[in-house]
Amino acid sequence: MDSLSTRYLRAKKIPSTACGGCGLGQVHKKILMAMDELALGVGDVVWGSGIGCAGRQTFNTWKGDNFAGTHGRVYAIATGLRLALPEDKKIIITSGDGDAFGIGLSHLLHCARRNVDITVIVADNLGYQSTGGQYGYTTPLGFVSDSSPYGAIEQNWIQNGIDILDVLRAGGATFLARHSSLEGYDAVKSVKAAIKNVGFSLIHFIYPCVSHFGPVSLKTRDIDRIFHWFKGIFEAGGVFGENFKSGIFHDAGNSRPEFASSLRSQRAEVEAGHLR
Amino acid sequence: MRKLFETGNAAITEGAVAAGCNLFAGYPITPATEIAENMSRRLPQTGGFYVQAEDETASLHICIGGALGGLKAMTATSGPGYVLFADPYGWAIGSEIPLVIVNSQRVGPISGITGAPGQGEFYLSRYPTHGGNFETIVLAPNSVQEAFSMTVEAFYLAERFRTPVTLLADQLVTDGWASLSLPENETELNEMGLKVVPRSIHPGPIFYPPTDEIDVPPVVLGQNTGGACSDWTPTEEGYDTEDIEDQMKHANRLIGKILSHRDLIDRHESIYMDDDPEIVLVSYGSPSRVIGSAVKRAREAGMSVGCIRLKSLWPFQDKLFERRAVYLAVELNVDGQLVREVARASRGEVHFLGKCGELPRVSELIEAVDCLCDGCELKSKKWETVVW
Repeated sequence: MDSLSTRYLRAKKIPSTACGGCGLGQVHKKILMAMDELALGVGDVVWGSGIGCAGRQTFNTWKGDNFAGTHGRVYAIATGLRLALPEDKKIIITSGDGDAFGIGLSHLLHCARRNVDITVIVADNLGYQSTGGQYGYTTPLGFVSDSSPYGAIEQNWIQNGIDILDVLRAGGATFLARHSSLEGYDAVKSVKAAIKNVGFSLIHFIYPCVSHFGPVSLKTRDIDRIFHWFKGIFEAGGVFGENFKSGIFHDAGNSRPEFASSLRSQRAEVEAGHLR
Repeated sequence: MRKLFETGNAAITEGAVAAGCNLFAGYPITPATEIAENMSRRLPQTGGFYVQAEDETASLHICIGGALGGLKAMTATSGPGYVLFADPYGWAIGSEIPLVIVNSQRVGPISGITGAPGQGEFYLSRYPTHGGNFETIVLAPNSVQEAFSMTVEAFYLAERFRTPVTLLADQLVTDGWASLSLPENETELNEMGLKVVPRSIHPGPIFYPPTDEIDVPPVVLGQNTGGACSDWTPTEEGYDTEDIEDQMKHANRLIGKILSHRDLIDRHESIYMDDDPEIVLVSYGSPSRVIGSAVKRAREAGMSVGCIRLKSLWPFQDKLFERRAVYLAVELNVDGQLVREVARASRGEVHFLGKCGELPRVSELIEAVDCLCDGCELKSKKWETVVW
């Protein structure tokens, strides 16, 4: 364990049980680097997680307080928790592409609309990899998976002019960014900005899966080739098209009232007798 | 003590406020909408939060999130919403999260008739989620006053047992108007036999002790206790585990903590049972109000009849049915739910009188009792009937 892990993570859970070569650890590390630079302590953050690779491998790794929600519901849970916690306590959630963009999309979008002060890190391995490699909401069109043996035919959320981040922006999200786990400090800067936004922030983090997506969809077990393919998704000729870029997608940080603080303000008005 | 003329829905709202509820998340649904409306007005006055959720799945998850942060949370719904709780209800049971769920039952299945009472969720309240290996606590009020007191009791049991508690009411109980006495302070509340348990915070590290003990504080996040709460089977410290021994310990705790403290949960009302009547009517909720009148008139006519009214439904009170007698379960469904448990628990002859969307009439009940007195089967075409 490096110094960040020793400071922030539980020895019982690190290293996690993620597959060798999985990119999730790099996503995890970027969050810790951002926390370190923001001088956040273990007691300043409550860490939530979803289901699937991203959820299971990050649950209870945080040395402080942790929760894991049922599949897709961690955003609704965080909405309730936000009301109970002091405003300076951060809620950071790590979940996967199926959790956020599939089963939990309604709750996620309602969090964006309400501008709930949470930071959602969607760690995306381009499909349902923990269940063995089925296509999901970001699997490239035409790609083979264990449930799309003839090629994925269903329009995904990030190709052909459709972008889930556009949906979230229209829904009211106040900070949105997209990166890959293979990037460097730019991604850390985005995580820092996301945490600093007192409102709904989401970072779409794409990371390599070497156990299912590589062998089944990319037809290779060679980690170098898998990583090279993932590095290329933001470059010219990338599989998701020309407009698929890494970086900050939308920054309206601290521009809209936050959900819990709005409720508190109205409550204060009621308690003061100004509203009847 | 304030004396009001109010609905069951209003009584539930005031019960929640008296119990210290400071989070309500719900989705509007007839006939429970009025609870949400009342909470949206009352909670900001009493230091709480009201959230209108995007669906019932979110309602209960928002309640869970608030409870995990130390709030006392409640939601209220009817059958179509109650069934959507399957996912969070299981999580609250497994992670031992205290909260209160109100279900004002209406006739079904599915959307059914919004304004007609039903009792179709008797078994759903026992098995509200998948996976097995748990017990539930369910209370059933039959009046406006009880809607108040049982809401306070539901919060009390939720905190002490560290589990969700369902208040299983019905449309007539929650929509009905009646006089309501409301305590104005905690002393008056205590004088009514009601107590409030404040939220306590588990200091860690053994968040999930492998014992039957109650009064174990729940995990409260944000206190830097290292609290961990997940949907996976927990180790004693809250880590996710795939160890079958941990699974066994967890299941034994979820069941054992409830079954070892039945004295705090079991509630019933006996009406004319002192002389060991030959025929015993069994019910809960709004039908029990008609039964009281019917039993009184039947006894005046010389019939040997009494009534057991269940005030707590789960765990089921088998011991009430140990005496050999002819039991007649009366409920607001025609497929028979309560009657199956009575049949299982009793050693006597068990009959069923079900109504669908409306209460039985006193005359119907007396006719049924008269028929049973004569030893004949219930055959009237006015109601669906089966001899169990």
